Amino acid sequence: MADITKALNLDELASKDSPIHNLDGRIKLISAVLAIVVVAFSNNLFIPIVMEIYLLIILKIAKLSYLNSFKRLLLLLPFGGAIIIFQPFIHPGNILWRYSWITVTDVGLNWAILLLARMTVSLTAIVILSSTSPMQEIVESLRKLKMPKDLAMILSIMVRFLFIFIDELSTIRKSQKSRNFHIHSKITPYKWRVRQVGYTIAMMFVKSYEQGERIYKSMISRGFSDKSNIYNEKKQLLRSDYIYIITMILLIIIIEVILIKYSNQLGYLGENLSIN
Amino acid sequence: MHIPDGFIPFWQCAIYYVILIVALYFASKWARKNLDDKRIPLLAVLAAGIFAIMSMNMPIPFGTSGHMVGGALVAIIFMAPEAAVIVFTVVLIIQALVFGDGGITVLGANVLNMAIIGGFTGLFTFKVLKDKVGIYIASGVGAWLATVLSALACAIEMAIAGTFPLTIGVASMVTYHLFIGIIEAVLTVIVIAAIEKFRPDLLYWDNEKTTGGE
Repeated sequence: MADITKALNLDELASKDSPIHNLDGRIKLISAVLAIVVVAFSNNLFIPIVMEIYLLIILKIAKLSYLNSFKRLLLLLPFGGAIIIFQPFIHPGNILWRYSWITVTDVGLNWAILLLARMTVSLTAIVILSSTSPMQEIVESLRKLKMPKDLAMILSIMVRFLFIFIDELSTIRKSQKSRNFHIHSKITPYKWRVRQVGYTIAMMFVKSYEQGERIYKSMISRGFSDKSNIYNEKKQLLRSDYIYIITMILLIIIIEVILIKYSNQLGYLGENLSIN
Repeated sequence: MHIPDGFIPFWQCAIYYVILIVALYFASKWARKNLDDKRIPLLAVLAAGIFAIMSMNMPIPFGTSGHMVGGALVAIIFMAPEAAVIVFTVVLIIQALVFGDGGITVLGANVLNMAIIGGFTGLFTFKVLKDKVGIYIASGVGAWLATVLSALACAIEMAIAGTFPLTIGVASMVTYHLFIGIIEAVLTVIVIAAIEKFRPDLLYWDNEKTTGGE
């Protein structure tokens, strides 16, 4: 699951300098969502593969390390991966391989490959987005794209506080560690360890609530009210922004055209592997 | 149980998004009425707290680890599942866009499982049991049921999507979460007990008793 201590490294990564980092947040966000939507609802391998190649090129332009991005991808796979692993065995179809009662079918295997492809490309798009734009920029972009005001405001305040809580949590953990507490330690009784985690969570909860009240008070004392608007920095889109988004849209159109016109020549890549 | 992108077909994602939008409409109406101006900073900071809580992995017997979700907890503390809807929408958007946990196309489904189903189940169970067995057992059972039913909903959604057959899905997801649910329940009870001790005014039922509401 999302380890928030990684958020610190992420934001550090995201503040580097490259042609992709310098693009407008809105453009990066829309491109990532476009790529994910097109891929997540594709039913052949052609779309995910072309999109992945394109995203890997973007990754290179963004000067991100392939190895580190790949490691991040691996960390994100577990839940989806667990579901994918069962696919070849549970769908009816032509049997490819059999060992006593275990069978692998072509339908199941194809479906597993398709799911894995969809998930990998979606995650690559997210890795690019989050390693090239700081969290605050992503949230700001959502706001500029006319997300409902209340939600947008909650989001931007939340992101500011996330980092404070990362520190808060690590302080609590440090002090527990200094008293020789370890969550996986088998020397202490399990019940006791669960109770310690419970206290930590309760502490976080109370602290976050109190912090929220303090923020509220300091916000009203500075003139905040229900009708306040958050200041939006006006930022003109540059030529590079237009180029980036148009390339993405063109790529999607070209993929779709190729699929419609030449689906027979693509062979396996153009086949419909979806079962839903 | 964050469903990733690509596991649910288009029209079903659309339906879950419609549910999400309707839920958000009612949730923001609730927040306007019950939390006034205070709602924005309060819910925002709580969301950040929940985010931190979700990232704490707890070892579970049988060698795996799980983490608390907290949907029932938020719903019980506010005595309103609407609070869980707002908090979890925000948390899940950031998890999907920044951490790649869950997905953007399936946001509606994930909020439905964790916040709407989890929150409603937790709160409803709590309300029914509160006067009979006391708040601790009631919140524990509520949190446990919320986890199990969220997992069940997740399995059913996967089955409707054709991604995972119903029987195996329900059997594996629900069995697994029968255990995870115990952790969720124990932690929820401990958190509620701790809040009762340190800040009883935060709990709705204490608040009514001592100050007669705000």
